[in-house]
Amino acid sequence: MNLNKTQTRSDRLTGRSTHLNFESSKGKVARNVSRGRGKLYTSYATNQAFLNTAPKKWWTLGFVVLTALAPFLVPLDFTYLLTLALIYAIGGIGLNLLSGYAGQISLGHAFFLGLGAYTAAVFGGKPGTVTWGFELDLAIVLPLAAIIPGIIGYLVAPLATRVRGLYLAVLTLGLLIFGEHMFKIMVPVTGGEGMGRGVAQRTLFGVDLNATYAIGPVIIKPEISFYLITFLIFAVLGVAARNIARSRVGRSFAAVRDRDLAAEVMGVNLMRTKTFAFAISSAYAGVAGALLSMLIGRISPEQWNLFMSVDFLAVVVIGGIATISGTILGAAFVVLLPRFLELLTEYIPFISVSSGGLINVFQLQTIVFGILIVIFITLEPRGLYGIWIRIRNYFTAWPFSY
Amino acid sequence: MTLRRRSRTALAALAIALLPLTACTQVDGGDDPAPSPPPSDSGDSGATELVTGQGVTEEACPDAINPDNGCIYLGVLSDLTEGPFAALAVPITDAQGDFWRLVNERGGLNGYDIDIDKNTRDTKYIADEHAAQYNQISGNIAAIAQTLGTVNTESVLDDMIAKSLVAVPTTWWSGFAFDANDGGIVMESGYSYCTEAIVGLDWFADNHGKPASVQAVGYPGDYGGDSAEGVKRWAEVNGAELKEYVPTAPNQVAGNQDAVVSKVAAANPDVVVLGIGPAETAEIIGKLAAGGFTGRFMGALPTWNPALLDSPAAGAITGLYNHMSPYQNWDGDSKGIADMKEALAGELPTNGGYIIGWAIGYPMKAALEKALENNDISPEGIASVVDGLVASYEGMAPDQKYGGDPQANAIQSVYVGQPNAEVELGMETIAQAYVGTTFDQTDYSAACVASN
Repeated sequence: MNLNKTQTRSDRLTGRSTHLNFESSKGKVARNVSRGRGKLYTSYATNQAFLNTAPKKWWTLGFVVLTALAPFLVPLDFTYLLTLALIYAIGGIGLNLLSGYAGQISLGHAFFLGLGAYTAAVFGGKPGTVTWGFELDLAIVLPLAAIIPGIIGYLVAPLATRVRGLYLAVLTLGLLIFGEHMFKIMVPVTGGEGMGRGVAQRTLFGVDLNATYAIGPVIIKPEISFYLITFLIFAVLGVAARNIARSRVGRSFAAVRDRDLAAEVMGVNLMRTKTFAFAISSAYAGVAGALLSMLIGRISPEQWNLFMSVDFLAVVVIGGIATISGTILGAAFVVLLPRFLELLTEYIPFISVSSGGLINVFQLQTIVFGILIVIFITLEPRGLYGIWIRIRNYFTAWPFSY
Repeated sequence: MTLRRRSRTALAALAIALLPLTACTQVDGGDDPAPSPPPSDSGDSGATELVTGQGVTEEACPDAINPDNGCIYLGVLSDLTEGPFAALAVPITDAQGDFWRLVNERGGLNGYDIDIDKNTRDTKYIADEHAAQYNQISGNIAAIAQTLGTVNTESVLDDMIAKSLVAVPTTWWSGFAFDANDGGIVMESGYSYCTEAIVGLDWFADNHGKPASVQAVGYPGDYGGDSAEGVKRWAEVNGAELKEYVPTAPNQVAGNQDAVVSKVAAANPDVVVLGIGPAETAEIIGKLAAGGFTGRFMGALPTWNPALLDSPAAGAITGLYNHMSPYQNWDGDSKGIADMKEALAGELPTNGGYIIGWAIGYPMKAALEKALENNDISPEGIASVVDGLVASYEGMAPDQKYGGDPQANAIQSVYVGQPNAEVELGMETIAQAYVGTTFDQTDYSAACVASN
């Protein structure tokens, strides 16, 4: 009926304006009409589309191409850092779905990363003298590293859904402490405190990723192939998260975050929404944990601690709450900034690696990193994504201020 | 229709994207070999011309002491800011800097100065940070002068083996004595914690009477766990009653050591072997002594810090505790200690970490000298000299032989110290290079606590 009405309305167009009748084209706008009108949407579907403006499409394409080519352009140790940044982005996206979109603060993220890491290590690792290992292929191991933490997240979610705010933070902190203790005592799984265990083997679909491959003249070293696989997983999970965020589920996340009582009155099932947020966030964390463990090469039970959770919260807050692209920026910031500081501090003459002076160069880096984060949060609470929005708006409105 | 078409397009795009993979061929069988050494210097093996590889330059080191010398770059991966071992690791790293500075001041090694500053990195004692920093320096160094922590070192050990990067660990885990664990490239320095506990208890039996019961308290794993296994083996050989091992954690994690205190008080052993940190050592000894505990304590290498003599537990520590070290203490009379004091030019280091840092320079120096003698200081060349190498500590510890039978070559001598506020750094040596009898009766054919 509604459709009929609009049909009638657009049928009234006469003369030159008839070319503004887009109804029959399902929202598709002729090129000559849309030029210079980046925000002209003629249907809900195009408005809500995955990449709803042309610049977004170009930026995304540029990002994908650059990220895929990056390991071939930078030294190997940078490839390690870039892989770490992608892994942090995966984990950060998971936390952002839970804490940013659904508003459920969690300090327990590191626990789920640990669960993913140990799932991968047990199913994909070699058996040790006391540790289990089934040496399965990554094609089985990586999905398991998402599924098992996801299930555990699903199981503990009912507890977490009963509380909110600070209470939820404390509850998830409790989960983290409980998890750390479990990791320490479950020696066949974790290798025990102080010793740790080896990680999943890098074999995907029977292909040994520890070998160097060549595609024509392009040499793909093990570090690069692991990076590329991480990038592929990151891309799939990033797109999936974006889709979750703009779907009915994502809107229910936002409703619950903004006012859970109001959301419930509107018919959003609180329990189901929060539980789903926990489960999906845990699954993301699991994948990130599995990849992180494989990148490091060895894992010990004490590393899945509060500091790691705080790291991921930093990724979310610095990047921008409730944005996927912001999380990617945040992860890059947290992982890469210390390295850039290191390059910069080489030019400070009176500070060296020895502790002879007041502080050594590493202490200076740590201090500067802390100060930068404080400045950041104070000046731009919306994070890196907020800065990006400001830059974008400046150019959109140019030459006018608003 | 459009949806179907779109998914078809996506599928086609994916297929095209995957197409290059069909041209994929494996280049080699396993790990990527280390970057091949620059061809300029490589002569026939055995020829007089020196073979060099990564981390060795004909140009002088930055701020070189001998501008005419070439430069050998060594890496350091240590806990230099906020990690749990920073208090020890900072003086260890300072000592290493001074050690190599002294070597350079004395003319360097065969026309080469040594630089460790350029490739010193802070790992914060976190495995992923360690791996990240290792990746950053591993292509620029000839060997690793210090790698701190067992788990951290093991995280990159496979790559170290693949690149033939010889390393001296700042961990005394027994596993590094066995090639099965480290591929023969990790040059452990002095005894292992496991050996330390065995020999230390021998010393205790000689000097305080054979204990009827022994107990171990320690951080689980490579440190306290290794030490506890030594206690167990000593008890088995000597027929002492083994009280239940008490695992604990640093106070940052555990809050306090009350649980340990009550367990040890209940077990009431004659001697407790501690494999923990200095603050925890003071707390446990202080609280147990206040509670009327009459047993004694043998502390592993990292349990001591001179600051303990200013703590409320100082009296109890002085009365009940002995420290074990693989190296001479500050009051040692060897050439090594004299050189160390010369490098410090009259200053006192903050703690005994400095002595450790100085001592672990010797095995690396021995390896580099031997490699230079063989005219090959590429990483592979350095790695090839480790097996059979004998490193002299200039009297700070007995000579150490690498490779061969770990049981026969294990360093067994312990320097036992007695806290004494009158002595510089607060530790007076009361037994020089003590060697017991029990170790040879134990089976040292694998790591005391296994690597998993």
